[in-house]
Amino acid sequence: MILKKKRTNFDVDEKITFKTLLKPFLYLLPFIISISIFTIYPFFNAFLISFKENYKALSGIFSGFGLANYEYVLTNETFLLALKNTVTYVLWVVPISTALSLLVAVMLNRKSKLQAFFQTAYFLPLVTSAIAVGLVWRWLFNFDYGVINFVLSQVGADAINWLNNPTYAKVALIVYGIWSMMPFTIILLLAGLQNINEQYLIAAKVDGSKPTQIFAYITVPLLAPTIGLTMIVNMITGFKVFNELFALFNGTPGPAYSLYTVIYFMYEQFYVKYRLGTAAASAIVLFFIVMILTLLQLYMQRKWKNY
Amino acid sequence: MKVIIKDLTKKFGDFTAVDHVNAEFADGKLISLLGPSGCGKTTILNMLSGILPSSNGKIYFDNEDVTDLPADKRGVGLVFQNYALYPHMTVLENVCFPLRIKGVPKKERIERAMKFINMVHIEEYLDRKPAELSGGQQQRVAITRALIKKPRLLLLDEPLSNLDAKLRVEMREEIRRLQKESGVTTVFVTHDQEEASSISDSIMLLKRGVKQQFGTVDELCDNPINLFTADFLGSPTINQIHGVWDGKGFVADGQTANIPFNVNINKGTRLVYASRAEALKLNQDKKFDAEVLERYKTGKDTLVLLKFGAGSLRAYTEDRTIQVGNTVSIGMKDMGVFLFEEESGSRLL
Repeated sequence: MILKKKRTNFDVDEKITFKTLLKPFLYLLPFIISISIFTIYPFFNAFLISFKENYKALSGIFSGFGLANYEYVLTNETFLLALKNTVTYVLWVVPISTALSLLVAVMLNRKSKLQAFFQTAYFLPLVTSAIAVGLVWRWLFNFDYGVINFVLSQVGADAINWLNNPTYAKVALIVYGIWSMMPFTIILLLAGLQNINEQYLIAAKVDGSKPTQIFAYITVPLLAPTIGLTMIVNMITGFKVFNELFALFNGTPGPAYSLYTVIYFMYEQFYVKYRLGTAAASAIVLFFIVMILTLLQLYMQRKWKNY
Repeated sequence: MKVIIKDLTKKFGDFTAVDHVNAEFADGKLISLLGPSGCGKTTILNMLSGILPSSNGKIYFDNEDVTDLPADKRGVGLVFQNYALYPHMTVLENVCFPLRIKGVPKKERIERAMKFINMVHIEEYLDRKPAELSGGQQQRVAITRALIKKPRLLLLDEPLSNLDAKLRVEMREEIRRLQKESGVTTVFVTHDQEEASSISDSIMLLKRGVKQQFGTVDELCDNPINLFTADFLGSPTINQIHGVWDGKGFVADGQTANIPFNVNINKGTRLVYASRAEALKLNQDKKFDAEVLERYKTGKDTLVLLKFGAGSLRAYTEDRTIQVGNTVSIGMKDMGVFLFEEESGSRLL
């Protein structure tokens, strides 16, 4: 008598055919449809549009394929200003917010009765609307009634016109950016800290280390992979800065059009000027910048994590 | 450096992990803290290292009171059960770490490290990360890291428990050699009596946080203070005959034996007559009768397993006529035979 093997859904002997793939494909279909429509199609379409010259959004008419959009974007003074502003923003916001977050995470990691309260408090900004928080920051930075100028006046300093002076407006944007980036960073770093085996810290202490030496020689190196990860994520977020700018300056690109960012430039080309081709071209330029940085950081992260 | 602990106590909530332990560890000796798990031996070690604050009592290094001195200022070397080598540093960096944080220049610390590294034969692995080493190699690195700062006291927390049997014997000889060469006072925590017996100058035996006995291996084996000590040390485990004092003799398994006995105890007191396997005499002198269950040839001697009452006894004999199934008479030698009160475990004879 031939014993027939009982078939299961995970039978390895089963040949992969169109029929056997049908069922799993059906399960995946809702996800595939939504990601196709809202992510994959727009991504490739943006690529295509960026090469279409004189593209009209409503009629779909264009004069031909070419590099005119890229030529326009890369020689446009506003775009170059936007690029410069964005890079400045990232270079200030990412390191400072990471350093401050590390400090807060280390403090939160200490066993304390208030730990739960502080963890919630630092997590809260993550779930509040960026626009609503932006309005609050606008009041904090207000020239006549803002808390920040009040504090400055108390220590005898002159009031600063935060939101209307191009130099200080940049500082205000960076301060707000640092603040808004911290909660997510703190949570990731805290998780990383909690993964460090306490035994290494005890061993270092018995070896004679002071708390600062333990932090510098043990905690930070062991946390390096997590720090690297948060920096990549924050850099990508930083390059896409828009909400903070929009909320802080009431929908304008800062005082005297001084605070254009790449996304704001793209938004303006698209929503205000209806120039889809140049909007797409600027998006693709941003995409490549972010991709190169990400690859660089991934490479560095792999180098750090070699234990 | 000698170590003195006075009334050392550690409480975790209502639980007393270490209960008023007193001892003096002589300079340059290797002392084992021995006991079953939960006896407080690692807790004592952690209090010696300064990782754990004591609830009560004092610790002195020579004449200096170190009870409240933090771990980084005590100058002790500690080897963890799982070694705790820094995973992001190479072997050389791990070994040099205690010198690096003291601010010793790089050239000098490598010079000093190499002396120790040559002693434990890990030269080949200097550039490897801990994850690339075997357990035995990690163990050597951990010991080197603990020794390089010339500690006043070396603490070893079950350092051999993660190694296989062959390596364990090899490493305990290595530890003993290094300890003698460096002359550092060493405290060694273990639950393995054989390990403790083979390596130590003295053993402190603990049970539920209370010191049972502190002395040399011979003292603990030949002169146990209570039944727990007699039972914990020695291989094979000490034979125990449980019985009752009937006023004239010791009654066990329906047989009465005369015991040379001059302590005044009440009739009906339950006793334990304990003897080492080598202290039983078969077919020479008669206290009890027992049946032979098994014979094991071990070297020139034969170990026989005897059925007595509900339990069993082990005895060494040179008599080859004894066969499985025989009934033999049991006598006791003078050495290695003890009498304990069953309930308290205290020694009567």
